[in-house]
Formats: sequence, C-alpha cells, structure tokens
Amino acid sequence: MKFTTLLTSAAAIAALVLAGATSASAESTLEIVKKRGHVRCQVGPASPGFYFLDSKGDWQGLDVTVCQAVAAAIFGDPTKLEIQSVSSQARFTSLANGDSDLLSRTATWTMSRDTQLGIDFLTPNFYDGQGFTVRKESGITSALELKGAKVCVTSGTTTESNLADFSRTHDLNISAVTFEDFNVRDETYLQGGCDAVTADKSALAGNLAAFPVPGDHLILPDTLSKEPLAPAVRHGDNQWADIVRWSEFAMVNAEELGITSANVDDMRANSKNPSIRRVLGVEGNIHEGIGLDKDWAYNIIKLVGNYGEVYEKYIGDGENAIGIPRAGSANALWTKGGLMYSPPMR
Amino acid sequence: MEYVRTKDTPTRKPPLNESSLLGWLKINLFDTLFSSVLTILVLIAIFFAVKSLWIWGISDGVWIAETRRECFKINIDGACWAGVIAWLDNIFYGRYPREELWRINLGGLLLILWMLPLWLPRVRGKIFVGLSVVALYPFLAGYLFSGGEKGIFMQVMITAAIVGLAVNVANAVTGYFNRGSLSSFILRKIGKSDAPEKQQRNILLAILLIAFVAVFVWQMGWVVENVTWTKWGGLFLTFVIAGIGIASALPGGIILALGRRSKLPVVSVLSTAFIELFRSVPLITVLFMATTMFPLFVPEGFVLNKLVQVIIAVCLFNACYIAEIVRAGLQAIPKGQYEGAHTIGLGYWGAMGLIIMPQALKHMIPNIVGSFIGLLKDTTLVSIIGLFDILNILRAISKDTPWIGLHKEPLVFGAILFFIICFAMSKYSRHLEAKLATGHKN
Repeated sequence: MKFTTLLTSAAAIAALVLAGATSASAESTLEIVKKRGHVRCQVGPASPGFYFLDSKGDWQGLDVTVCQAVAAAIFGDPTKLEIQSVSSQARFTSLANGDSDLLSRTATWTMSRDTQLGIDFLTPNFYDGQGFTVRKESGITSALELKGAKVCVTSGTTTESNLADFSRTHDLNISAVTFEDFNVRDETYLQGGCDAVTADKSALAGNLAAFPVPGDHLILPDTLSKEPLAPAVRHGDNQWADIVRWSEFAMVNAEELGITSANVDDMRANSKNPSIRRVLGVEGNIHEGIGLDKDWAYNIIKLVGNYGEVYEKYIGDGENAIGIPRAGSANALWTKGGLMYSPPMR
Repeated sequence: MEYVRTKDTPTRKPPLNESSLLGWLKINLFDTLFSSVLTILVLIAIFFAVKSLWIWGISDGVWIAETRRECFKINIDGACWAGVIAWLDNIFYGRYPREELWRINLGGLLLILWMLPLWLPRVRGKIFVGLSVVALYPFLAGYLFSGGEKGIFMQVMITAAIVGLAVNVANAVTGYFNRGSLSSFILRKIGKSDAPEKQQRNILLAILLIAFVAVFVWQMGWVVENVTWTKWGGLFLTFVIAGIGIASALPGGIILALGRRSKLPVVSVLSTAFIELFRSVPLITVLFMATTMFPLFVPEGFVLNKLVQVIIAVCLFNACYIAEIVRAGLQAIPKGQYEGAHTIGLGYWGAMGLIIMPQALKHMIPNIVGSFIGLLKDTTLVSIIGLFDILNILRAISKDTPWIGLHKEPLVFGAILFFIICFAMSKYSRHLEAKLATGHKN
C-alpha cells in the first residue's frame, strides 16, 4: 500500500494547492447545504421499496422520503436533492468524510456503528427483523426445524453473522451459501440449491412477491434479530441531527394527528386543535430553535406526506408497493400497538 | 520450334472435393470418422443451446406488459422483455432529464459529423480533423451535456469548437465533390487564386476571424439548463468515460513510452516507475483510492466531483497499458530505421514523428484496439463505486417495484449491446490494418 499512500498524499498536496486560500472552515452543515442549494442524501445501490430507480430515472422509496422531507423542510422543495448511490463498503466513510450530508438506506442501527464510526444514528423509520423463507412443500413451520439445512444468504451484511449466531445458539449446523446479489440468491433457492433463504423480513416479503408462484413459499414466523433501520448523520453537528430527526418526527406526528398531504391546507386554515396549529406553524414558535422557516413541517406534510401515507405508497398496500402489511407490526403507530412514536411538538 | 506450345492448355475444373459445398464439408467437417463424430456431437449441442435460448427469449418471450407479474401471467417460462423496454431510456441515458435528451443525441450526432471526413475519400487535411476533434469537441460536448453558466474560457473554447466543426464540414464537402481544399475553393470563388500568398493568407484569416466573432456573439445568448453529473448514466456515461479514456490514453501512452525509452535518466526512471506502479495495481483499487480516500486528504468543502476522479483514474491507468504496447512497437522497429532517419538529417522528434512512430503504431493496431475494447468493458467497474453506468442501470431494473427480480433479461440485453459495440470496434481495427498495410504484405 506504499504506493497508494504516496499517490493520495501527492493528490492531497495538489488539492491543497488548488484549493488555495479556502481553508477548512467551521461552517455548520445547514449553512453548507443552504449555500449549495441542495441536500446530498446517500442511499445504496437500490433496494426494493426503500430506495430504487423507477423507469423514468427518479429515485423512489421509503428511505428516499426522509431525504425529501429534509429538503422540503429546508428549501420548501423536496426535489432540491442530490441522491447519491454508494456501495455498502463505502457508505459510512462517504458520510464521515463529508461527501454526503445524510445517510438514509436501510442501515441497521448498532452500538458499534453508532459509537465507533464518527456517525450518529437518528430515529428508526423502519423496524425490521431477520427471517426465513422456505418452500411450503418442505413442511417446515419453524426456524428450529432447519437442522442441517442449506440456507442462501447475501454476504457482507449483518444477515450473514446473525445466521451463524442463530445456528450456533440452537445447535442447528446450518450451512450458509453466500451470494453477492439477491437475484442470484433467489434464483438458486428457486432452483432447489438451498432449503431456505434468509434476509430481513421486509426484503423477503418484497422478493417473495416477485417469485413465479408466491403461494408455494412461506415466510417463517421466527425473527432472528432486531434490525432498527435508521438514517444517520455525521457526529458532532447537533443542529443538523435535530433537523433530520424532527423532519422524521413531523411525519409520524402528522399521521397521529390525522394531517395528510390532502387535508393539510384545510387543517392549517380551519383546525382549532392547538397541537395541529403548532405543528403547522399557525401558532407557537417551535421552528425557532431548529433554524428553519415557520412552514417547515407544513412543507414536509404537504409535499412528501405523513409517515402512514409514504408507508402505504412504497411498503404497504399501494399499487407499486412491495406489500408488507403494517397492522400489528412494529411499524404501526404506538396508538395501534407499534413502535412509531413521536415526542410532542410543542 | 515444334516443342513450343502456341496455345494454352484448356483449364480444367478443380477436383470436386475442392470446389463443391459437399467437398468442402468432407474436407473440413467429416474428414475422418473421429471428426465426423465430433461434428455431429457439436451440432447437436449447438442445436439444443440455440433451441432453448430461442424458446426462452423469442417464442415464449413477453414483449408487452406493465409489470413482471403480468409477464408471469402471460407466459411463466419466457423472458420478460417488457421490463427492458420500459427501461430503455434509463439504459441509454441514465437519469438524464427526459426533456433534455436531445442534447445527448445532438452531441453524438456532432461527433459523427466531425469524424465523418476521416472516412471520406478525397478529403484533405485529415490530420487537422483528427486533432480538432480531440482538442475541441470535448468542450462543445462538455457544455452540451452539463450546461449551466459559461465562463469566458469556456465561451472561447465553445466558439472555437463550433468554428472548427464548420470548417471541417465545409472542407469535407468541397473535398468530396472534387473542389479541392476549402481554402483553395474560397479563393477561387472570390477570384483571388492568383493573388500573392501573403494576401491569400490574410483573406482567409479575416474570414476565419469574422466567423469566430459571429459565432462568439451568437453563443453568448445560448444557454442550456444545468444537468449535474449525478444524473448522467447508462450507455451514455459508459461512452463518456471510455471515450475520454481512449482519446487521452493514446497520447499519454506514447509520451510515457518515449519517456521510458529516453536516454535522460530522470525522465526514464520516472516514466518507468509510473508505468510499473499503475500496472501492478488493479483498476478497482485505483478507483476506490480516487473516490473514497481522496476526499479525506483535501480540505472540507473542496470537492472534485466523483466522475472527474474516475475519469482521471481510468485515463492514467490505461495510458500505462498503452505505453507498454507502444514500447513493444518501438522495439520491433529495426535499428536501421533509426539510423536511416538520422542520416537524412532528422532530429529526435523528426525521426520519431515521421519514421518510427507511424510504423510502430501500425504494427500495434491489433493490441491497441484490443486494449481499448478492454477499457470499454472495464468501465463497468465504476458501477461498484456507485456510478450508474450501463451495468448498474441494468442491475437496478430488478429493484424497481414493478419489475422486482427481473435480472436475467437486462443482463442478456447488456451482453448483446456490448457484443455489438466491441465487435464493431474489432471490425474497424481489421479494416484499419488492411488500409494501412502498405508494403508489408508477405
């Protein structure tokens, strides 16, 4: 690696010379973003339902709505975004070195990532857990029956190590067959190369819907792991973290209060509920501490939607959604037994 | 004299097994029992491979559907081409705004228009065509593709490019219709063909200047919307990276090769070190270094965009490979050629430019084109660092909700596309070899 170090040092020196007088300033992320005119938001190489390109070349998905919400809160325009698609190997470096302002890409919030990588995870926007898909004809109804089974898994993620832990804990002697690409993994499973597939349940449901005959397969009820999928920002800029966190909360809060993108104008004009009036900036001054306009939450709800709306559109029952029911899951509102809970906005 | 034949013997037909189709088959495919068996086995294998491909792709293929689920309903065993068709814009142009696609098409057309004179007979000044396309076209295309505000330097270069293009086209037209070069044609038209050379030159310069000023004034009002590089993608991005890589790798490689063979120790050692270092590192490492490590070493806020970093990395990397090919070509030139060049009074650059390099490059065309084809295919590595080149776009289809899991068909389509492009390049290289093979036919 001597050469590569040499190369980068040379490049760094050249860049320093080029950059000239522009010294590293202590500008806040919000100032940088406002000056640049758009938010740099990092997603991954595409994951159905969460971040994917559509045939018109636009990024869509549940995680993309977090980016859009932040852009709407700052600029009043959810398209003031540069979506960066970064490989999972480079994702945290890219955030830490300032390439991205925000990471929103089904990254699991773990203690080591939160405390060792110079980044901070915010509120999970999706609670996932690892599970198994098996063929119905195999007669398997519980993960504990997978003794000695061959299980297809994508490599390089927490999924692989969770599988190994699970196998060891329950003495199942599972052999993992690893793949880089989930398509090849599923293809192998469909052709009988594995007895089961393991991945986060959301992904399993999305992929299962795309099998030639979905009815022949079954997602086992067991959940191997906790996967709180959360956006993340660089460590140390608390104001920026606040903006992203409260943009997320605004969407959850709006759902709780019954504000949708369709009725938000009506609510702003006519609602007498003080909670709604505070969220929409009609009364109170909740926007002052966060450094945004009075309309920030109104813009998010109007232009992006509340959490329930975007969930249905991309994950739930919408026409183009991957079809994971929300009722009874951890992603339901806390009032319906789920974990989606926003602190009060007052 | 009676032994001398006065008439030719009548020509006889070649033996049957030399001329007829059956004879050819007998000699080439069914010569012995062993080769007959082999032939039949291979034919059977080809038949089954083609048949199953045909059934999957053509006879069972689904061409019109809204989603993959619909494809399954129509024919569960066939290929679902509908998804590829729905994504064609993405595959060719990436995320480029749909209402701005004409800019990419225009850029491509201009390039073809600019290069066309190279293949036309009777056109003079082909070296000028080649040089101007490498030196000027990138500015015009660069602005056309990215748009936004133009600095004064860009304005001058864009003007120069437009004038250069116009001169090229006009020159090609006059040349093709046997009217001589553009300058002689103009002079004849205004009745100055017999004027002294100095006056002729001044007239031509004045015309050029007027054209330059006119175009400059026009282009000041010409502004196209800014499209950031993050929206570039698909085959377009692949062509941009490979095109710049190819255009700069050859001159870079020649310089490095000459440097490596130089008698000046500093130049030679530096060139050798550069070549060896880049050649001993995989391209993907160079790409990762360029994109993920580089930002750590520069002050916050200073950003060289990722596409530029990637292009620089690709250019440097390929220049080193071309350098070694050129060096091989140089070493194949007999010493007599060098000595001969010197005896007629040519210096180093004269000898290289007029005698040695043309021969060396001609010999090395297959290798150079081979390396360029490799470069084109290597550009798909940029998908690993997150650029949406054609490979990444093709893979993204399987993650678009209506087409979840559709991954074989896009890759097959990509393979066909790459085959067409690479095969065309390889054919062109054969054509070039044949055209340049003067006096070396054995």
